[in-house]
Amino acid sequence: MITTTALTKRYDEVPVVRDVSLHCEPGTITGFLGANGAGKSTTMKMIVGLVRSDGGTSTIDGRPFVELPNATRVVGTLLDASAMHPGRSGRATLTIAARLAGVGTTRVQRLLDLVGLADAADKRVGTYSLGMRQRLGIAQALVGEPKALILDEPANGLDPDGIAWMRTLLRDFADHGGTVLLSSHLLHEVQATADHVVVIADGAVVAAGRLDDLLASSTILVRSPDPVALAAALRAARIDHVPGPGDAFTVDVGGGRVTTEVLASTARDHQVLLTELRPSEANGLEQLFFSLTGAKAASGEAAA
Amino acid sequence: MTTSLTFGTHGGAAAPSSVPGPIPFARLVRVEWAKATDTRAARWLLALVALSTAAMVLTPVVAPESFDQTWASYLRVAALGLTILLPVVAILLFTGEWSQRSVITTFTQEPRRMRVVNAKLAVSLLLGGGAAAFGGVLAAAGIACSSASGRSLEADLTAGAVGGYLLFVLLNVLAGVALGALLQSSAPAIAASFALPAACAVLGTASTLVADWIDPSSTWNWVLEAEWSGHLAQISFSVLFWVVVPLAAGVARTVRRDVA
Repeated sequence: MITTTALTKRYDEVPVVRDVSLHCEPGTITGFLGANGAGKSTTMKMIVGLVRSDGGTSTIDGRPFVELPNATRVVGTLLDASAMHPGRSGRATLTIAARLAGVGTTRVQRLLDLVGLADAADKRVGTYSLGMRQRLGIAQALVGEPKALILDEPANGLDPDGIAWMRTLLRDFADHGGTVLLSSHLLHEVQATADHVVVIADGAVVAAGRLDDLLASSTILVRSPDPVALAAALRAARIDHVPGPGDAFTVDVGGGRVTTEVLASTARDHQVLLTELRPSEANGLEQLFFSLTGAKAASGEAAA
Repeated sequence: MTTSLTFGTHGGAAAPSSVPGPIPFARLVRVEWAKATDTRAARWLLALVALSTAAMVLTPVVAPESFDQTWASYLRVAALGLTILLPVVAILLFTGEWSQRSVITTFTQEPRRMRVVNAKLAVSLLLGGGAAAFGGVLAAAGIACSSASGRSLEADLTAGAVGGYLLFVLLNVLAGVALGALLQSSAPAIAASFALPAACAVLGTASTLVADWIDPSSTWNWVLEAEWSGHLAQISFSVLFWVVVPLAAGVARTVRRDVA
């Protein structure tokens, strides 16, 4: 279990992470979603003690990371796949990690097989592609047979096959009771991998919850050949709505109070004919994420 | 499938009784030793240390008229040969992981950074001690050559001479460690390790204060030649200046620094 409460970091009085609280349960994959520079890496590095926090706490299995007697045996980390000595082979890199963790070096060959690096194991890491380094980094994270994984942008540099492989691997890890926290700046990546999502923007959490809940549409589109009568019916039933797109109306689900069924019976009660009734295509998470990254890109363009 | 083989040992309610103990310090030292010696670059550097020392020891063998044919003299040239590049080895031990950014791995595997620093210190002293022993063997070989060629030798090998020799080598190693720990970047630390003593030698010609209290070519030379009497205060001050103070500051910085 990985927990943080109100983690905060400032550089030169400028907050880069503000009151970030996470809660990752065993058996789940939590996606930490945010644009580049939103504070994902800094938060992860605070969890493992590489960066000192200016406030808040974080624990793994109830203990601060720096108090874990042999951290690798509890939580595996991949924070920067390029941070490896280029002059050492993949096998040597893993062997060092295995020896430090105190696990048998027979595990090294099994991990090399698992991540698909058996053929390149004796080549120097300096000759590896980023995707191969990510695979080696994942093997290194798994070396101590941990119960939790903290992975910063693990899909970076992996080809589509590699990404599919990694998803299967992480799902398998979680299904065996493991806890996974992974970050990504790609919405579709998190959608395909995680079952819980925490969205961070400008250092602060802006949305968190189960992926299914966040993906659920927050609006319903409803259309009638008689829009005036439909608007009157919605008003009478005290249902929030805005006109558009076209002659249809977009209805707010009101936190789940309003469903397609509620709208259908409202229309029936007011004798209004409906020709279209469905959840809006753009879901809440997409709208939120694109409004955040869109705003970021726009301000970046304005600055440039 | 291999994946289930890998994760099968950890159920959701894995018993906490299997929580492993802390990493033993000896294991940290062994791993740091391996990291300091297992790359091609590290082995080349160590080979160069050996080569430069051998070349230095060869000079009194081939040019006996310019050197005393004594143990002290041979140990002295061995020490000077060793300490050309040995401080660089010590520096890289402390800066290499910052340059390669592998501190990210090292400090997440052992988040008690002080233990990693202590292990690296132990490795630097082992390397220094090993190098001193190697230099001693070369000096002995040189003496044997000299003796075989019929030169008269003084039986002058004293505990004081050996102690001064060993201490001189270790002080040079520790000064490298201190610079590396303080600057945490290979190129500036290596440049400083050559430039600072040279600058001291220049300043020493202008100021006897620098020459007598700081310049290692005078203060540590007293150590090498075991001339302790009358120089203890100067030697102590220069050890504070080159080793103790920068090492303390460097360790504090290493332990506190954010790994961004």
